[in-house]
Amino acid sequence: MKLNRIGITLIACALAAIMLVVTLLVLRQQDSQTAQIRIKGVAMVKSLSSVPVPLLRDGGNGGVLGALLAYHDNSDFAYATIGDASGRILSEVAGRGSITPVVALPVSAANGFGERDLAASGGAPALREFYGPLADRSSGPLFVRVGFHQPRYAVLAQDVSFMALLALAMFLVVPVIYLVIKREMAPLAALSTQLRKLATPGKSDSADNGDVRELIGDMQDYLGQASARIAQLEQGALNTTADNRLLQYGSKKLNAALQSLPDGLLMLDPAGDVTFASGKIEPLLGIQMERILGRPVDEWCCDPALRSLIGRYSGNLRDSMRSHGAAPAVQFAPLNVDGRQLSASAQPLNGGHGTMSFGTLVVLRDITPEFLARQAGNDFVAHVSHELKSPLNVIGMYAEMLADSDDESLRVESLNVIQDELERMNALIGNLLNVSKLESGSLNPERNRVRLDDLLSDTYNGALSRAEGKGLRVLLDLPRELDAVAIDKDLLRIALNNLITNAIKYNRAGGSVTLAARNEDNEIVISVRDTGIGIAPADQGRIFDKFYRVSEGDAPAKRGGHGLGLYLAAQIIELHHGRMLVESEAGVGSTFSIHLKTVPAPAGAAVL
Amino acid sequence: MNARRILLVDDEPHVLRVLRLALEREGYSVATASDGHAALACMAEQLPNVLISDIQMDGMDGRTLCPLARSTYPDHPFLILVMTSMTALDERAWARALSNTEFLEKPLSPRQLVARLARHFAALPSSPDHLSEPPHAA
Repeated sequence: MKLNRIGITLIACALAAIMLVVTLLVLRQQDSQTAQIRIKGVAMVKSLSSVPVPLLRDGGNGGVLGALLAYHDNSDFAYATIGDASGRILSEVAGRGSITPVVALPVSAANGFGERDLAASGGAPALREFYGPLADRSSGPLFVRVGFHQPRYAVLAQDVSFMALLALAMFLVVPVIYLVIKREMAPLAALSTQLRKLATPGKSDSADNGDVRELIGDMQDYLGQASARIAQLEQGALNTTADNRLLQYGSKKLNAALQSLPDGLLMLDPAGDVTFASGKIEPLLGIQMERILGRPVDEWCCDPALRSLIGRYSGNLRDSMRSHGAAPAVQFAPLNVDGRQLSASAQPLNGGHGTMSFGTLVVLRDITPEFLARQAGNDFVAHVSHELKSPLNVIGMYAEMLADSDDESLRVESLNVIQDELERMNALIGNLLNVSKLESGSLNPERNRVRLDDLLSDTYNGALSRAEGKGLRVLLDLPRELDAVAIDKDLLRIALNNLITNAIKYNRAGGSVTLAARNEDNEIVISVRDTGIGIAPADQGRIFDKFYRVSEGDAPAKRGGHGLGLYLAAQIIELHHGRMLVESEAGVGSTFSIHLKTVPAPAGAAVL
Repeated sequence: MNARRILLVDDEPHVLRVLRLALEREGYSVATASDGHAALACMAEQLPNVLISDIQMDGMDGRTLCPLARSTYPDHPFLILVMTSMTALDERAWARALSNTEFLEKPLSPRQLVARLARHFAALPSSPDHLSEPPHAA
């Protein structure tokens, strides 16, 4: 495009130059003609003025004028006349097609030679006239006038070929220049266009005729700027990459820290959409991560307590909540997960000293163990109260009967019952105190080397009377001799009694309780076997937990256990560095066994 | 025949024994049961004027027994007295829904029970003999 325009411009310039040259040539030619005419005219008038009149106007032979005509009869010569001042013609010779105009001479003509232009009129062409007075005044003052045709602006025929050659020569230069420019400038012009586009995108590339120097200047400027910019960008990119890596590292570290927190985290943006949820959220709420991330809370949250907690932080309420300070928390059981208790607390995420709000942070904590422990504790208090109140109730009633009745047998019965109930209360309170002592660490076993025969016999005898009322048989199975163990006799008695109590309590009518002991490798194994309801495998791992009571059917602990007996027994055995094991089959019965290390008799040691 | 029949339900034999002695001394006809199932069996034989039940029992407990006894015999408006040592509100809510049901706070005094029953029977129109008929529903 650009080169085409250059070509066209070049052609136009060449044509203009040719025109100019031709015009100048024509003008020059005309000037030289005019000068030639003047020289001829002046010379002719001066030479004629000195010729005597008769010689001049020798009509028949033509005279001098006739000779003049013959000599000067070419395209220039118009006429030569002798006349008076008024313009009257006395004698004349005229060139072909010319007549002498009858025009009065100016007044100054009488004083000397002159010349004048005669404008074209009446078909006669414009003339240049030279005049002067005749020296011969014999026939009055006469004047000689010589006229020439004014030179025309025209290319003379003999000059046409010269001019054509000149024009051709000039015109031939054009393609040469064009080709040179094209060859030298085309790549530069293309580059210039490209660079301008790059440097100032959007700017229309007008003025594309800048010369090469300007182009190179532009280019240098551009290259300078571009390299500086490239260096700047590279530095920037390097810095950004480094910063990004640092940020990524920091972000990953932070993410790992957040994910490894034991609590579940939810971050909500100010609009209430979840922007972050740690992996713990999924098992805690039982909602898949895809349903949580990037979604508003109302869409996925099916727990009303959690929803209302988060709801307090969205919308206009947020500002009023912020002023309250302490983060509110709710406890709830998630709908999608069974048997869990969660605590959720929410707090606004503020930065820049409270001027920026990033949304809300919600922390979800699994408080199931604490909840169960608290529930067990509450249940325990309720059951202990019941266990204490029941004997009190019976004692109160019998006391009234004792007061009201005169019947001797009723009085004896009343006293016995009151005695029994007091013992029952005493046993419970004793267990409570022992557990309390055990947990506070103040229960220190006094370990002595003993043989267990007597202790087991005592326990057996105690069980006999209690089992009798329930229609149970109690069996004792002891080897002839038992190895000695180092134990606190009183503590072990408590443990054994608790096992026996359970064996009786959870037995069925007509069943049996077997108390047995045997020697094994370095161990004495004491076992209490019942034929009761048994313990389901799911419960077996937890029966030694504090306050844990096996649920029977729809109502837990109908047998009035307080969840302390097995716990206390297991703790006591542990104090003796022994083991307590349970084997059980639901509906068949359970066997609790105590494994105690035997102690080889040191020399001179007494066995109690 | 004595028309004032009392059914005592408790898993504590001592309680049953003392209350039976106290009530029989006042001339009531007393039946006893150690849990809900036994109580319903007793009622199927002969309906009481007053059902006195403990809450916590092995087998069927008082919480189940009382509404069941009420709904099984809708035409016989016997008084239900619930013995409880639980003072928690939720232990009382279920019983409030039952008509003609009251609580007896443990420890229970036989004298107070006798007085309460005397008030109850004094307020009733005499001759509730139709209750002696065997129940048509079981």
